[in-house]
Amino acid sequence: MKIQELINERVVVLDGAMGTELQARGMPSGVNPESWCTEHPHIVRGIHEAYLEAGADIIYSCTFGGNRLKLSQYGFSDTAEINRKLATIAREACRGRGLVAGDIGPTGHFIEPFGDLGFDEAVEIFREQIGGLLAGGVDLFIIETMMDIQEARAALIAVRELTDIFTMVTMTYEQDGLTLNGTDPVAAVVTLQSLGADAVGCNCSTGPIEMKALIEAMKPCATVPVVAKPNAGMPELIDGHTVFPMKPERYAARMKDLVHAGGNLVGGCCGTTPEHIKILKGVLAAEQSQPPHRRAISAVSSPRKALIFSGNRPVTLIGERINPTGKKQLQGELRRGRMTCIQNMVGEQTREGADLLDINVGVAGIDQEQTMAQVVKLLATTSDLPIVIDSTNLGAIERALRLYPGRVLLNSISGEREKMDQFLPVAAKYGAMFILLPLDDSGVPDSAEGRIDIIGQVFEGAETFGFTKEDIVVDGLVMALSSNPGAPGETLKVVEWCSSEFGSLTVLGLSNVSFGMPDRTWLNAAFLAMAMSKGVSMVIANPAAQELMDIKVAADALLKRDRDASRYIARFSQSTRGASGAAQKSVMSPMEAVTAAIMEGNREDIETLLTRAVASGVTADSLLHECMIPAITEVGELFDRREYFLPQLLAGAETMKRGVALLDPYLREENRETEKKGSILMATVKGDIHDIGKNIVCLMLDNHGFNVIDLGKDVSAERIVEEIKKSRPFLVGLSALMTTTMVQMREIIEGARDEGIDCSFMIGGAVVNEGYASSIGAHYAKDGVDAVRVAGSLRQNE
Amino acid sequence: MKVRVPWDNIYIRLGYREQSTRMDETTREETEKSIAYALSFINMRGAGRRVSLSEKGDDRVSLATADVFVSRNLSKYVGDCREVLVMGATAGELIMEAIRQDIDADNLTRGSILDAVASEMTDGALDWMCDYFNYQLKRENKKVSRSRYSAGYGDLGLEHQQTMFKMLRLDQIGLSITDSHMLIPEKSVTAIARIMDV
Repeated sequence: MKIQELINERVVVLDGAMGTELQARGMPSGVNPESWCTEHPHIVRGIHEAYLEAGADIIYSCTFGGNRLKLSQYGFSDTAEINRKLATIAREACRGRGLVAGDIGPTGHFIEPFGDLGFDEAVEIFREQIGGLLAGGVDLFIIETMMDIQEARAALIAVRELTDIFTMVTMTYEQDGLTLNGTDPVAAVVTLQSLGADAVGCNCSTGPIEMKALIEAMKPCATVPVVAKPNAGMPELIDGHTVFPMKPERYAARMKDLVHAGGNLVGGCCGTTPEHIKILKGVLAAEQSQPPHRRAISAVSSPRKALIFSGNRPVTLIGERINPTGKKQLQGELRRGRMTCIQNMVGEQTREGADLLDINVGVAGIDQEQTMAQVVKLLATTSDLPIVIDSTNLGAIERALRLYPGRVLLNSISGEREKMDQFLPVAAKYGAMFILLPLDDSGVPDSAEGRIDIIGQVFEGAETFGFTKEDIVVDGLVMALSSNPGAPGETLKVVEWCSSEFGSLTVLGLSNVSFGMPDRTWLNAAFLAMAMSKGVSMVIANPAAQELMDIKVAADALLKRDRDASRYIARFSQSTRGASGAAQKSVMSPMEAVTAAIMEGNREDIETLLTRAVASGVTADSLLHECMIPAITEVGELFDRREYFLPQLLAGAETMKRGVALLDPYLREENRETEKKGSILMATVKGDIHDIGKNIVCLMLDNHGFNVIDLGKDVSAERIVEEIKKSRPFLVGLSALMTTTMVQMREIIEGARDEGIDCSFMIGGAVVNEGYASSIGAHYAKDGVDAVRVAGSLRQNE
Repeated sequence: MKVRVPWDNIYIRLGYREQSTRMDETTREETEKSIAYALSFINMRGAGRRVSLSEKGDDRVSLATADVFVSRNLSKYVGDCREVLVMGATAGELIMEAIRQDIDADNLTRGSILDAVASEMTDGALDWMCDYFNYQLKRENKKVSRSRYSAGYGDLGLEHQQTMFKMLRLDQIGLSITDSHMLIPEKSVTAIARIMDV
């Protein structure tokens, strides 16, 4: 019976653990399992037979580590032959009783962009193993125990480049529900099924109880059957040995929950035995298999998260900023192969609320394929947002789709014959969604009807490659109001038709509408609101455009695309919070308000509050000595008692610093200049580059009226001694974070004494303590507050 | 490398104490916003390598790579293990640039949070690497010890960081090392962990 028929008929039972069974039957520790099995075929055949007799429909060949990289660690080079032999052993064991899945496990290396093994090299390594397994006559493939989605993709692409036989992919998840590389189960499903996996799921990871949540998360978005192959419970360490505690009866009973959650193919991983599978088979005899809940899904994914375009989610915002058009700095960086500007744009757009990031590297004279690969790899490692590949360069598109460890939205495929012929097969091979651009070789039709005709033609072509309407996002094609007043109306008609009749998602590149017009923001925002009322699904825009984002959030709420208007409330209550805080302070006396601002670290309002206080007749001297100094002292005491933590201490200190700077001219007017308590020279010693602690101490001392001379970090003993002679401080503060650099402190102090310098020294840093300080003739300060105390007391005793 | 954000450790590093610290909602929001800001600049990269021991004396550990670590404490830590995991990780240069910018702009409040996040994420990267190697070691009935040892700690001189730098080819992930054996960018670490039989 073929695998698909089996799945349609009932819950399919997979085999159980191989590794623990081999060990139980005499495989010594430290050997290569694959090689050992070729030398002991009767043992591995015996295990296969035991699982088949227990009722397994599918057994896995003993080739989990049968790739070139793993085998070479043990000195073996005949990868294809080892795989062929082991597949043959499994085939012989079956004798028509079940199917053989060629087992493909991880290489043990990370693949680009997460590691140094090239993606194409990884594909080649898997192809070698797959070739051997095919020669051994496997019926299907299982790519399993993958913790890196990119490695799973490489193996799956390798299979698909050689054969179209049924292929399952299962990832392994941590207890927090993510793979070790941070991929969530929905992202894995979206990525792998779009790339051609015939079944997806999880194995190893956990026991059946914990795996239920993973299967429940996967099932609603899976368009293919779901696989569940958990361990016999969570591993426990007993007498120094890892033990999987679940007995066969309990295991089988809990496996029913996985079937109820949507598992179509179920079996066992570490710690399970033929007995577990036998009882499981019996328990599942009466269970019905749930077919996939959907045939297609509109979704994209990054290596870590998926974005599902359901009808009631807020309009999706595609961040448009990674596009060199009109951006000289970005153009320059791309030409030099630098990525700092892009990294900043990724961070900014993410913080401003983009859902997807558009990537366009269209700069004349650069190797777009190489640059696109560089950008895609950067985004894969630094951003959780899925991406839109915006290019007309086929080579760059193909490189991006092959390399990116997620499902991409391709921008775009039009009705131009050449584009359809070239781009559709590539998008289909890598399972991308695409933006359908309704223009053809004759150009952009003016009317909505003309565009709708092209949409039909492109969709018809796409269907032959297996695309569904869920895989397509139609671009309404926004044209400038300034060149054709009727153009925006035609675009809206296309959006409305797609939403209500055709049944596809839609996207608009908003800012085109206002091209050539003054005050473009208002046209863009109004057009967005109108398009949203027609059902537009996505817009390409700058998420930092406040007015646009405000309108989007408001319209999302009005169109029931923002459940309980929670995003609206969060956005707009946030913007009024500052004002209400200031209003609250306005009911306090001016001095109370200034004290409160320092205690709360309110850097934004301190200048306004002080200006108001001075205007109300309070003297600068009273403000400084009666509120600000007592307040910052209180902040220090709160920090000392651990009632405040470091950010609160620093926020208070920075508020104080701003306040003192503002008061300075008033104090001069009152003939009461801020009196300095004496000079302190500060430095992080030679060889040490860690200076944040020293910077904190400088801020605290400065706030308490000391004249701080900061020499910075990695400062030589000679320079420190020279500076002491020049500025004659009463105290020198030295910091070091490393045991190797703290010895510099002694050298500096001895050098200063040799020169006849008698000032005090204070030291601090992670590796020094009171004892060390006194051994070199210095005072010790454990933190910034303590440093103020030490400096104050030394000054007083002078 | 996708390191889980070690929220608790970040707060502890910043001096937060569950029992005593009073934090209002605005401070919490600002702190979490700064942590998110820091994360957007962190690009964790790392390298790890299993290395067999060739010899072990009371005050030294010799590796199959012909490298020797001179340290009585390390020798004691390794015990009778026959293999170690040598690791290195970095949070990258961008976060250091962001910290510098904050300090230059007199925003030490956020700078100190960025610094704490980068430190804890770098440490978390070593935990991540141990977990990763444990997946592979499981099939060999072995595991990596959770405790680890770093150059500059105890009697293992910081100069051994040069050895680890070369062994792991850390220049390939964008690191350099100073004459005083400091890794650049600053938020970078190396460590040795023992590999034990289960």
